[in-house]
Amino acid sequence: MSENKIIIKSSKGIPKLELKELVQYKDLFLLLAYRDYRVRYAQTFLGFLWAFIQPFATLLIFTLVFSKAAKVDTGEIPYPLFAICGMAGWTFFAFVLSNSGNSIIGAQQMIQKIYFPKLIIPMAKAIVGFVDFGIALLFIICICIYYQFIPSSNIIFLPIFILMTILASLTFGIWLSALTIRFRDFQHVVPFLVQFGLYATPIGYPAELITNSLPNWASLIYFLNPMAGLVEGFRWSIIGGASPNEFAYVSFLVTIILFVLGLFYFKKVEEVMADIV
Amino acid sequence: MSEVAIKVNGLSKKFTIGKKKSSSFRDSLSSVLYKSKSTQDFWALNNLNFEILKGESIGIIGKNGAGKSTLLKILSRITKPSSGRIEINGRVSSLLEVGTGFHPELTGRENIYLNGTILGMKRSEVKSKFDEIVDFSGVEKFLDTPVKRYSSGMYVRLAFAVAAHLEPEILIIDEVLSVGDAEFQKKCLGKMDDATKSGRTVLFVSHNMSAVEKLCSKCFLLKQGQLKYSGSSSQTIAKYLNFAESNQHQWTRESTVKSKAYFTYIKAYQENQLDITTSGSLNIEFTYEIKEDLNSLKLHLALLDNYGQIIFSSAPEDTGIEKPLKKGKYTSLVTLPKDLLIPMKYSLKLILWDHIAGSFIHHDINEEIKFKPIETQSLINNTSGGRSGIVAVKCKWKIE
Repeated sequence: MSENKIIIKSSKGIPKLELKELVQYKDLFLLLAYRDYRVRYAQTFLGFLWAFIQPFATLLIFTLVFSKAAKVDTGEIPYPLFAICGMAGWTFFAFVLSNSGNSIIGAQQMIQKIYFPKLIIPMAKAIVGFVDFGIALLFIICICIYYQFIPSSNIIFLPIFILMTILASLTFGIWLSALTIRFRDFQHVVPFLVQFGLYATPIGYPAELITNSLPNWASLIYFLNPMAGLVEGFRWSIIGGASPNEFAYVSFLVTIILFVLGLFYFKKVEEVMADIV
Repeated sequence: MSEVAIKVNGLSKKFTIGKKKSSSFRDSLSSVLYKSKSTQDFWALNNLNFEILKGESIGIIGKNGAGKSTLLKILSRITKPSSGRIEINGRVSSLLEVGTGFHPELTGRENIYLNGTILGMKRSEVKSKFDEIVDFSGVEKFLDTPVKRYSSGMYVRLAFAVAAHLEPEILIIDEVLSVGDAEFQKKCLGKMDDATKSGRTVLFVSHNMSAVEKLCSKCFLLKQGQLKYSGSSSQTIAKYLNFAESNQHQWTRESTVKSKAYFTYIKAYQENQLDITTSGSLNIEFTYEIKEDLNSLKLHLALLDNYGQIIFSSAPEDTGIEKPLKKGKYTSLVTLPKDLLIPMKYSLKLILWDHIAGSFIHHDINEEIKFKPIETQSLINNTSGGRSGIVAVKCKWKIE
């Protein structure tokens, strides 16, 4: 008897997540990620160098605008270090956001011709962003060395913030890829969201700058943006200082709830994906 | 007793037509506010019941729109049925297209891995069969070249080579043999023949009746989403050809399509003749529409025998004509050489297709025109002894 028994039925009710299936398809997942990575810099003159140029240029602009022009006060912390700690998580998040939204539509040929758990498509896109994340971490190390800055002991929490950032990025990636299939409107929402988030997240400035002048309820709304709490926490674990605003926990909670809901929503959309893509 | 490989109970699939396939917020909102009246249900499959035993090779035949592809898509788990239950015992690989997931920027080598994994192989399996695949494809010189630099022939060969090395227990194949040159098609048929002989369960959809008859022991005949007949291949094919027999010299599109390019009208006729005869030349006039400006578009016309085998195919560039790519409606006239046909059943196949970013896109395929020329003065019958073949060609002779 073959152990590969498949039952196909019409679907009703709450979908099963079938996470075990994702493990079975890990080869495909890795190859798709490899493909996306290879294609990213194909036929560019500078190739992989771009992965360094982009964050470097952004850091330069941030330093000019926030530190020199707007005179944001970061205390004893050198501004470039302050900014790069904020940018690291955000860049990854923004990459996943802008790439996974359209990922399912981009893979429609495949979806209509072959069966596989579609969840691996936005996930493979997210993995490609790890490259940038890694480079940003490298920048942090270099800048620390340059300023002879010794990271705070909070650094033991850094892995948690990295994991949460990945989770938050995946959450938004999964939601957006499923929503874009249903409503193409989201193709137009994503670029706006990324641009808006860049200012609504404490990347180039400390969160207190905003929360100090806001009532509690508004701070709560500010931290409903999962990246707000995560970017703050990420920075806190490297440069230390006052522990993050208690509202940052709202960011955590929002991320986890959205992630679980997102998985179910994606599965639901997956059932009709080939018919509507 | 053989084991059951696939068991299908009461399978139906409903499509809603008249509704846009991708919605926007506005559509969602308006469908809440107003009951939309323009939608209509269309049953692509209607209460199918059948069983396939392990090791059987089943051909699925039927006209365009009979539900063949929908059935394969459901069996491959690409779309879900609207109702019914299917039980599949065994590892399934489906081949609904050659080169799924090929990326033009990646090299041949990388694409073999990618495509193999997409088709359901483990990375290690691809690795162990890598040399065989390369050998079969015959493109080893270009393995490290991005496939976008491949000719379309090389591309197809590489793609099929990967597919041909799948070793699932159940293999589902849609009409994928319509690509590639004749020699390569033969090679592929041979490979598929091996698959059926090695005891694998094979489901095969094709319009090429001689291939179906050769490869499959049993056939299902679908008509309007229902199983009309099942039996031995020769019997089922005879049944199908019988009801497909009626001559049709003219065709006009009645339903709408979502393709970017499609045929709207086709007519086969002869100058100054009421019917098609074996003498004189056959004209094929057709109109097609391009919905949006395209970068490239291929247009082919083929003459088929009554088994669906291509006798020859032709394209406008053969005579140095530029095809239009801009949005619009076009009319085309193709004239076949004189005195070519003999009194037997022929059909025409018109294809609007393209080869973009490594994938074949069939915008529209039309096989509606069927005719049997009336014997007037063909070489076959009006010469002593008669000539054999499926077309008549007057050749120049010299004997010294």
